[in-house]
Amino acid sequence: MQRNSLEKILIGITFLSLMASLYAIFFYAPLEATMGLVQKVWYFHLASAWVTFLAYAVVFVAGILYLSRKKRCFDILGYSSAGIGVVFNTLVLVTGSIWAKPIWGTWWTWDSRLSTTLILWLMYIAYLMLRTSSGEDSKGARLAAVFGIVAFIDVPIVYMSIRWWRTIHPLVFKSKGTEVDPAMLTTLLISLVAFTLLYLCLLRQRIALEHLKDELERVKEKIRR
Amino acid sequence: MTNLGYFMAAYIIVWIGVFIYLFGLQRSQNRLKKELESLKKILEEKG
Repeated sequence: MQRNSLEKILIGITFLSLMASLYAIFFYAPLEATMGLVQKVWYFHLASAWVTFLAYAVVFVAGILYLSRKKRCFDILGYSSAGIGVVFNTLVLVTGSIWAKPIWGTWWTWDSRLSTTLILWLMYIAYLMLRTSSGEDSKGARLAAVFGIVAFIDVPIVYMSIRWWRTIHPLVFKSKGTEVDPAMLTTLLISLVAFTLLYLCLLRQRIALEHLKDELERVKEKIRR
Repeated sequence: MTNLGYFMAAYIIVWIGVFIYLFGLQRSQNRLKKELESLKKILEEKG
Protein backbone atom coordinates (compact mmCIF):
# COMPACT_ATOMS: atom_id res chain seq x y z
CA MET A 1 0.00 0.00 0.00
CA GLN A 2 1.27 3.48 -0.86
CA ARG A 3 2.37 5.93 1.83
CA ASN A 4 -0.27 8.48 0.79
CA SER A 5 -3.05 5.88 1.12
CA LEU A 6 -1.84 4.96 4.62
CA GLU A 7 -1.83 8.64 5.55
CA LYS A 8 -5.38 9.09 4.25
CA ILE A 9 -6.50 6.04 6.24
CA LEU A 10 -4.86 7.46 9.39
CA ILE A 11 -6.55 10.85 8.87
CA GLY A 12 -9.91 9.10 8.26
CA ILE A 13 -9.66 6.93 11.38
CA THR A 14 -8.58 9.97 13.43
CA PHE A 15 -11.55 11.99 12.21
CA LEU A 16 -13.99 9.15 12.96
CA SER A 17 -12.54 8.54 16.42
CA LEU A 18 -12.72 12.27 17.26
CA MET A 19 -16.38 12.30 16.18
CA ALA A 20 -16.99 9.16 18.26
CA SER A 21 -15.38 10.80 21.30
CA LEU A 22 -17.53 13.92 20.87
CA TYR A 23 -20.65 11.75 20.56
CA ALA A 24 -19.68 9.81 23.70
CA ILE A 25 -18.93 13.01 25.65
CA PHE A 26 -22.17 14.78 24.67
CA PHE A 27 -24.67 11.88 24.54
CA TYR A 28 -23.24 8.74 26.19
CA ALA A 29 -21.31 9.84 29.29
CA PRO A 30 -23.62 10.56 32.25
CA LEU A 31 -23.68 13.89 34.06
CA GLU A 32 -21.54 13.94 37.19
CA ALA A 33 -23.73 14.46 40.28
CA THR A 34 -21.95 17.41 41.96
CA MET A 35 -19.99 19.16 39.17
CA GLY A 36 -22.59 18.78 36.44
CA LEU A 37 -21.79 19.65 32.82
CA VAL A 38 -18.39 21.23 33.52
CA GLN A 39 -17.02 17.81 34.57
CA LYS A 40 -17.13 16.83 30.89
CA VAL A 41 -14.12 19.13 30.32
CA TRP A 42 -12.19 16.28 31.99
CA TYR A 43 -12.34 14.02 28.88
CA PHE A 44 -10.39 16.44 26.68
CA HIS A 45 -8.28 17.73 29.59
CA LEU A 46 -7.03 14.24 30.47
CA ALA A 47 -6.64 13.23 26.81
CA SER A 48 -4.54 16.38 26.20
CA ALA A 49 -2.43 15.55 29.28
CA TRP A 50 -1.88 12.01 27.96
CA VAL A 51 -0.73 13.34 24.56
CA THR A 52 1.55 15.85 26.32
CA PHE A 53 3.24 13.02 28.26
CA LEU A 54 3.43 10.83 25.14
CA ALA A 55 4.93 13.64 23.05
CA TYR A 56 7.57 14.40 25.70
CA ALA A 57 8.35 10.68 26.07
CA VAL A 58 9.01 10.60 22.30
CA VAL A 59 11.34 13.63 22.72
CA PHE A 60 13.16 11.71 25.48
CA VAL A 61 13.58 8.52 23.38
CA ALA A 62 14.49 10.53 20.25
CA GLY A 63 17.11 12.41 22.30
CA ILE A 64 18.74 9.17 23.46
CA LEU A 65 18.67 7.75 19.92
CA TYR A 66 20.14 10.95 18.47
CA LEU A 67 23.00 10.99 20.97
CA SER A 68 23.81 7.32 20.35
CA ARG A 69 23.32 7.17 16.55
CA LYS A 70 23.78 10.84 15.44
CA LYS A 71 21.06 10.55 12.81
CA ARG A 72 19.19 13.70 11.74
CA CYS A 73 15.84 11.82 11.66
CA PHE A 74 15.91 11.46 15.47
CA ASP A 75 16.63 15.17 15.88
CA ILE A 76 13.63 15.92 13.61
CA LEU A 77 11.46 13.46 15.55
CA GLY A 78 12.33 15.04 18.91
CA TYR A 79 11.88 18.62 17.69
CA SER A 80 8.56 17.81 15.98
CA SER A 81 7.18 15.94 18.97
CA ALA A 82 8.19 18.72 21.39
CA GLY A 83 6.24 21.26 19.31
CA ILE A 84 3.09 19.15 19.46
CA GLY A 85 3.68 18.46 23.16
CA VAL A 86 3.77 22.19 23.92
CA VAL A 87 0.47 22.72 22.02
CA PHE A 88 -1.29 20.02 24.07
CA ASN A 89 0.43 21.14 27.28
CA THR A 90 -1.06 24.61 26.65
CA LEU A 91 -4.49 22.99 26.16
CA VAL A 92 -4.06 21.10 29.47
CA LEU A 93 -3.33 24.34 31.33
CA VAL A 94 -6.17 26.25 29.65
CA THR A 95 -8.86 23.54 30.02
CA GLY A 96 -7.75 22.88 33.61
CA SER A 97 -8.11 26.57 34.36
CA ILE A 98 -11.60 26.69 32.79
CA TRP A 99 -12.63 23.68 34.89
CA ALA A 100 -11.10 25.19 38.06
CA LYS A 101 -13.01 28.48 37.92
CA PRO A 102 -16.52 27.09 38.65
CA ILE A 103 -15.25 24.20 40.83
CA TRP A 104 -12.48 25.83 42.92
CA GLY A 105 -13.65 29.42 42.45
CA THR A 106 -10.33 30.50 40.92
CA TRP A 107 -8.64 30.31 37.49
CA TRP A 108 -5.28 29.40 39.01
CA THR A 109 -3.75 28.29 42.30
CA TRP A 110 -0.14 27.34 43.09
CA ASP A 111 -1.10 23.71 43.66
CA SER A 112 1.63 21.05 43.21
CA ARG A 113 0.04 19.54 40.06
CA LEU A 114 -0.61 22.92 38.43
CA SER A 115 2.83 24.31 39.30
CA THR A 116 4.75 21.26 38.03
CA THR A 117 2.68 21.27 34.80
CA LEU A 118 3.48 24.95 34.28
CA ILE A 119 7.19 24.21 34.84
CA LEU A 120 6.93 21.36 32.30
CA TRP A 121 5.40 23.75 29.75
CA LEU A 122 8.15 26.35 30.33
CA MET A 123 10.90 23.72 30.02
CA TYR A 124 9.71 22.50 26.62
CA ILE A 125 9.25 26.07 25.39
CA ALA A 126 12.91 26.54 26.36
CA TYR A 127 13.73 23.32 24.45
CA LEU A 128 11.98 24.66 21.33
CA MET A 129 13.74 28.04 21.62
CA LEU A 130 17.10 26.29 22.03
CA ARG A 131 16.52 23.97 19.06
CA THR A 132 15.14 26.73 16.82
CA SER A 133 18.00 29.14 17.55
CA SER A 134 20.69 26.52 16.86
CA GLY A 135 19.39 25.83 13.31
CA GLU A 136 21.01 22.93 11.42
CA ASP A 137 24.01 22.93 13.71
CA SER A 138 24.74 19.41 15.04
CA LYS A 139 26.13 20.87 18.29
CA GLY A 140 22.77 22.59 18.84
CA ALA A 141 20.94 19.33 18.07
CA ARG A 142 23.10 17.50 20.65
CA LEU A 143 22.45 20.19 23.26
CA ALA A 144 18.70 20.05 22.54
CA ALA A 145 18.74 16.24 22.81
CA VAL A 146 20.40 16.45 26.25
CA PHE A 147 17.91 19.16 27.29
CA GLY A 148 14.99 17.00 26.09
CA ILE A 149 16.24 14.04 28.13
CA VAL A 150 16.76 16.12 31.30
CA ALA A 151 13.41 17.97 30.93
CA PHE A 152 11.58 14.64 30.84
CA ILE A 153 12.40 14.21 34.56
CA ASP A 154 9.48 16.58 35.24
CA VAL A 155 6.93 14.24 33.58
CA PRO A 156 6.91 11.60 36.40
CA ILE A 157 7.06 14.46 38.92
CA VAL A 158 3.89 15.97 37.39
CA TYR A 159 2.20 12.56 37.48
CA MET A 160 3.23 11.78 41.08
CA SER A 161 2.80 15.33 42.45
CA ILE A 162 -0.77 14.69 43.64
CA ARG A 163 0.41 11.53 45.43
CA TRP A 164 3.55 13.03 47.00
CA TRP A 165 2.32 16.46 48.13
CA ARG A 166 -0.80 18.02 49.59
CA THR A 167 -3.12 19.01 46.76
CA ILE A 168 -6.66 20.04 45.84
CA HIS A 169 -6.35 18.44 42.39
CA PRO A 170 -8.64 15.37 42.02
CA LEU A 171 -6.95 11.95 42.10
CA VAL A 172 -8.98 9.76 39.71
CA PHE A 173 -6.76 6.72 39.27
CA LYS A 174 -5.63 5.32 42.61
CA SER A 175 -3.41 2.32 43.30
CA LYS A 176 -6.51 0.32 44.27
CA GLY A 177 -8.22 1.12 40.95
CA THR A 178 -10.81 3.75 40.08
CA GLU A 179 -14.32 4.60 41.22
CA VAL A 180 -15.23 6.20 37.90
CA ASP A 181 -18.55 5.19 36.30
CA PRO A 182 -17.98 2.57 33.51
CA ALA A 183 -19.67 4.81 30.90
CA MET A 184 -17.38 7.71 31.89
CA LEU A 185 -14.36 5.41 31.70
CA THR A 186 -15.37 4.17 28.22
CA THR A 187 -15.80 7.79 27.05
CA LEU A 188 -12.39 8.64 28.46
CA LEU A 189 -10.78 5.67 26.66
CA ILE A 190 -12.37 6.72 23.33
CA SER A 191 -11.02 10.26 23.86
CA LEU A 192 -7.55 8.90 24.67
CA VAL A 193 -7.50 6.81 21.47
CA ALA A 194 -8.80 9.75 19.39
CA PHE A 195 -6.18 12.15 20.78
CA THR A 196 -3.37 9.60 20.32
CA LEU A 197 -4.35 9.25 16.65
CA LEU A 198 -4.54 13.05 16.36
CA TYR A 199 -1.01 13.24 17.78
CA LEU A 200 0.23 10.73 15.16
CA CYS A 201 -1.40 12.76 12.34
CA LEU A 202 0.14 16.01 13.59
CA LEU A 203 3.53 14.35 14.09
CA ARG A 204 3.45 13.04 10.51
CA GLN A 205 2.68 16.57 9.21
CA ARG A 206 5.34 18.18 11.42
CA ILE A 207 8.04 15.71 10.33
CA ALA A 208 7.10 16.25 6.65
CA LEU A 209 7.56 19.99 7.22
CA GLU A 210 11.06 19.47 8.65
CA HIS A 211 12.01 17.24 5.69
CA LEU A 212 10.82 19.98 3.33
CA LYS A 213 13.03 22.50 5.16
CA ASP A 214 16.01 20.15 4.79
CA GLU A 215 15.36 19.67 1.08
CA LEU A 216 15.07 23.43 0.64
CA GLU A 217 18.44 23.92 2.34
CA ARG A 218 20.03 21.31 0.06
CA VAL A 219 18.70 23.03 -3.07
CA LYS A 220 19.84 26.44 -1.78
CA GLU A 221 23.30 24.99 -1.19
CA LYS A 222 23.42 23.63 -4.75
CA ILE A 223 22.49 27.08 -6.15
CA ARG A 224 25.18 28.79 -4.05
CA ARG A 225 27.91 26.52 -5.52
CA MET B 1 -20.66 32.32 33.31
CA THR B 2 -22.79 29.18 33.68
CA ASN B 3 -21.52 25.58 33.75
CA LEU B 4 -22.59 25.30 30.09
CA GLY B 5 -20.53 28.40 29.28
CA TYR B 6 -17.35 26.96 30.86
CA PHE B 7 -17.95 23.60 29.17
CA MET B 8 -18.43 25.16 25.73
CA ALA B 9 -15.46 27.52 26.21
CA ALA B 10 -13.16 24.58 27.00
CA TYR B 11 -14.22 22.55 23.95
CA ILE B 12 -14.13 25.53 21.57
CA ILE B 13 -10.62 26.45 22.78
CA VAL B 14 -9.36 22.87 22.28
CA TRP B 15 -10.73 22.68 18.73
CA ILE B 16 -9.55 26.18 17.80
CA GLY B 17 -6.11 25.40 19.23
CA VAL B 18 -5.77 22.17 17.25
CA PHE B 19 -7.08 23.75 14.03
CA ILE B 20 -4.81 26.80 14.30
CA TYR B 21 -1.82 24.49 14.74
CA LEU B 22 -2.89 22.27 11.83
CA PHE B 23 -3.62 25.30 9.63
CA GLY B 24 -0.22 26.76 10.50
CA LEU B 25 1.51 23.49 9.54
CA GLN B 26 -0.35 23.33 6.21
CA ARG B 27 0.46 26.97 5.43
CA SER B 28 4.16 26.48 6.17
CA GLN B 29 4.22 23.30 4.05
CA ASN B 30 2.59 25.07 1.10
CA ARG B 31 4.96 28.04 1.39
CA LEU B 32 8.02 25.77 1.52
CA LYS B 33 6.76 23.66 -1.42
CA LYS B 34 6.32 26.81 -3.55
CA GLU B 35 9.79 28.07 -2.56
CA LEU B 36 11.28 24.66 -3.35
CA GLU B 37 9.64 24.57 -6.79
CA SER B 38 10.92 28.04 -7.69
CA LEU B 39 14.44 27.18 -6.48
CA LYS B 40 14.42 23.93 -8.47
CA LYS B 41 13.52 25.93 -11.57
CA ILE B 42 16.46 28.30 -10.93
CA LEU B 43 18.72 25.27 -10.52
CA GLU B 44 17.49 23.78 -13.82
CA GLU B 45 18.07 27.09 -15.61
CA LYS B 46 21.60 27.22 -14.18
CA GLY B 47 22.13 23.82 -15.79
